[in-house]
Amino acid sequence: MDTVKAQQWLIGIFSILLIVALIIVAGVEMKKSRSFKPEIEIDDMSAKCITCHEKKGIAVKQIDAWKESKHAVSGTGCYECHEAAKDDFDAFTCTGSDILIGRHPTPKDCAKCHEQQVAEFADSKHAHQFWLLKNADRAVFENPIATRHGCEQCHNIGNIWPDGSVGECDVCHAKHSFSKSVARQPETCGECHMGPDHPQIEIYLESKHGNIFKAKSAHWDMNYTSKQGEPIPLEVPVCTTCHMEANETQPLTHNVSARLAWESQMTWSFRTVWNEEELGNWQKKRERMEAICSSCHAPDFYKTYLLTADLVNLQYNEIRRQFVYWTKKLTKNGKISRLEVNGKFYSDPVLNGWDEDPEHLMYYGWHHEGRRFRMGAEMMGADFTQWHGIWEVQEDLMEVIKWAAEHGDTEAKKIAESKHPAKFITYALYDMPGNAWGIPTKTNTTPFVYNNYPDYWDRVYKNVEAAYQRGLLSDEQWQIWLDRYENKEYYLGNKFSNSPVVDSTFNVYKKRNEYDLKKMKEQVIDLVLPGKSFFKGRKF
Amino acid sequence: MKFKEWLLERFPIDYEKFVEFNEKIFIKEPIPTHMKKWLFVMGATPLIIFGFQVLTGLFLTFYFMPSPEMAYESIRHITEDVRMGYWIRGLHRWGANLMIISLLLHMTRVFFTHAYRKPRELNWIIGVILFFLTMTISFTGYSLTYNQLSYWATTVGTNMIKEVPLIGDLMLFFLRGGDVVNTNTLTRFYTLHVMILPGIIFFFIFLHIVILRLHGVSIPEGFEEKYYSFYPHHFYKIIIATLFLLTLMSTLTVVLPPGIGIPADPSVTPTHIKPEWYFFPTYRFLKMVSLHVGIYATAAFVLVFTFWPFIEPLLSKEKRKQTIFSRTAGVLTLIITLILTIWETIVI
Repeated sequence: MDTVKAQQWLIGIFSILLIVALIIVAGVEMKKSRSFKPEIEIDDMSAKCITCHEKKGIAVKQIDAWKESKHAVSGTGCYECHEAAKDDFDAFTCTGSDILIGRHPTPKDCAKCHEQQVAEFADSKHAHQFWLLKNADRAVFENPIATRHGCEQCHNIGNIWPDGSVGECDVCHAKHSFSKSVARQPETCGECHMGPDHPQIEIYLESKHGNIFKAKSAHWDMNYTSKQGEPIPLEVPVCTTCHMEANETQPLTHNVSARLAWESQMTWSFRTVWNEEELGNWQKKRERMEAICSSCHAPDFYKTYLLTADLVNLQYNEIRRQFVYWTKKLTKNGKISRLEVNGKFYSDPVLNGWDEDPEHLMYYGWHHEGRRFRMGAEMMGADFTQWHGIWEVQEDLMEVIKWAAEHGDTEAKKIAESKHPAKFITYALYDMPGNAWGIPTKTNTTPFVYNNYPDYWDRVYKNVEAAYQRGLLSDEQWQIWLDRYENKEYYLGNKFSNSPVVDSTFNVYKKRNEYDLKKMKEQVIDLVLPGKSFFKGRKF
Repeated sequence: MKFKEWLLERFPIDYEKFVEFNEKIFIKEPIPTHMKKWLFVMGATPLIIFGFQVLTGLFLTFYFMPSPEMAYESIRHITEDVRMGYWIRGLHRWGANLMIISLLLHMTRVFFTHAYRKPRELNWIIGVILFFLTMTISFTGYSLTYNQLSYWATTVGTNMIKEVPLIGDLMLFFLRGGDVVNTNTLTRFYTLHVMILPGIIFFFIFLHIVILRLHGVSIPEGFEEKYYSFYPHHFYKIIIATLFLLTLMSTLTVVLPPGIGIPADPSVTPTHIKPEWYFFPTYRFLKMVSLHVGIYATAAFVLVFTFWPFIEPLLSKEKRKQTIFSRTAGVLTLIITLILTIWETIVI
């Protein structure tokens, strides 16, 4: 071993070994560079479908999508889902072959492998065709052809199929990739949860959650598997994170109703009783949601936030009570009437009306503005709570009262003609001492009700207490509210509103504002142009 | 020959003297016969690996971006997307581990063959410095991966600097560029890892080799004082060692490729924080005693270890007794280090 010859031999041997090692390294590299696409083994049956479809150019993109799916990798081909028996409602023999297939794989087909997910979904409100149960034949107002691609496209998520199964999985898990990342995209939920009546996607995008998501999510892996006991792998939640997905303590669920505490899409906001036997009462559902909040936030924040949103829901009910009062009264007095054919009503004084202003305004005050008010408050959409919410709800109510006054209702006339600001608040109020965001120092010094009703907080106290006693707020929420009530000077910021340090900061802006107003007057208000009006002096 | 003349015209050195110098310094460098044994090649091993580290490290800098947002992502990119990136990264990562292993073996060999004894004390000290520099460069390199484990290992590791009397807090702040491990820490560690530490290591390696060459390789007891030329025998040995190391590191990269972990999350402290394995003995020891005691005891050990060539003669005048002392201390150190390492490995 000591000779030069031996050394040379060793060099030779190790050179060969190194070359072998490098070939292996290169082999791994090549496999890696090719393994971006998973290996797919196509069985004979699927191969038949694919060959024929590609040859005829029918729905070939769907095949590409399938190739990207987990189904493709796990050996779930075409026939596994499209299999059909002769008597199946959707069975047909595929053109140019003798293969009997089902045109519409339903949740029953998905349940062959995804039983739990399908069962959870069927137990959710996604699967509930509520609009069929109460008279709201919208086709009297909106043409049936519109509903085909309108209502029915979204509400197909709760379709009851001829095979008795309910739902449509690919509404969220777009076929044929059935990708988790597509299902997770907020825009997927936003396909339906958008627009004037339930703008959840717009609310989400207005929220801090949505803002951060838009800014940072471009490179996030949204295709992860959500597992109980593992932290949420996203910096901010998407829709599914809070409503469906697992975290350290919660399991993943396809029951979107399992974590909701309100029925805030309804005419009245009420605490949900959806499948209480298995899902528990609203407090249990709220606990589940809070468990998700707690992955990122401190309890003090999210409990205060949610309690405030709950009080918004309760406040909505009081305004709703006004709408119902006026439309009922106007109907009773014959000022407005219901649509009727052969003893069957096509409108309802408390639900919808299509032809007369008060009915229409009441409908908007619930179905559009009233929902925005509540849903904005629940999901951090400030503008939807305020301008697209309460502002428009109030306008609707004022219009109803004005309409009643113009049509001879003396009580309405009294309100319409009143010069007192309380004319806008013909109902009881809820309130929260302060907010979840911090301690304001000046904002609570101006509101009309605070300054003109010394018993304001006593009234609010009684209202919140009444809601609590009715079971609309939990013990814990009542305690949180009481704590704030007892320290309201602190939480409202009044304690600090006249402190020198606050005043000195405030005065800076006050002076700037005075200067702004002065300049606005100088620049534009006092400007009188020499050119005459073109209308002045005309006969027509 | 034309080229040689052309070159010599433009680079007018005394060619004959150059050949003579080269023969003396390299080709005919006297290598003692005991070096034919593979056990004694451990000194060249870390040098070869250091060469690999420089080369692979240079390639890694093509893609690595030292910012909290990009560090992890760029390592993922190197590992998963860049052609042969996983191999280069694997060589670098395994190189770091093998360099420490080979240094430990080299030091063990030097210690037990008493090669540190007069007149080679200074070279021992330089060697110890090189060892700690290697530990530091490994630590900074590990931190750069910016995954959850490395982030927290960096936090805990740098925390110890706080214990330096008087200036500890200031030193920690300077090293981290803030109160916690952050963007500044990453850029500082990057500069340390790719510029400052390699520069210092280069310098000490140079010094180490110069002193080695001036004294000549020490001949352990029981070996004849006979020599052979560097070329070809020893030159081939080094080539073999290089080929072997490259093969070994490539194989390890394929069989045990370095992972990327989960991205660092400064807001979530993991339940179990562990440094790299070569810090296990210190880490386990620090957990056994109070931080103060631990750090001072470790510092004392390092001092004794570094200055052992000077301490040994103080213990006894007799060579035989010195050897007994040294062997006992060496064996004890080895056993304790091994126990602490295994202990830390098996406990969660």
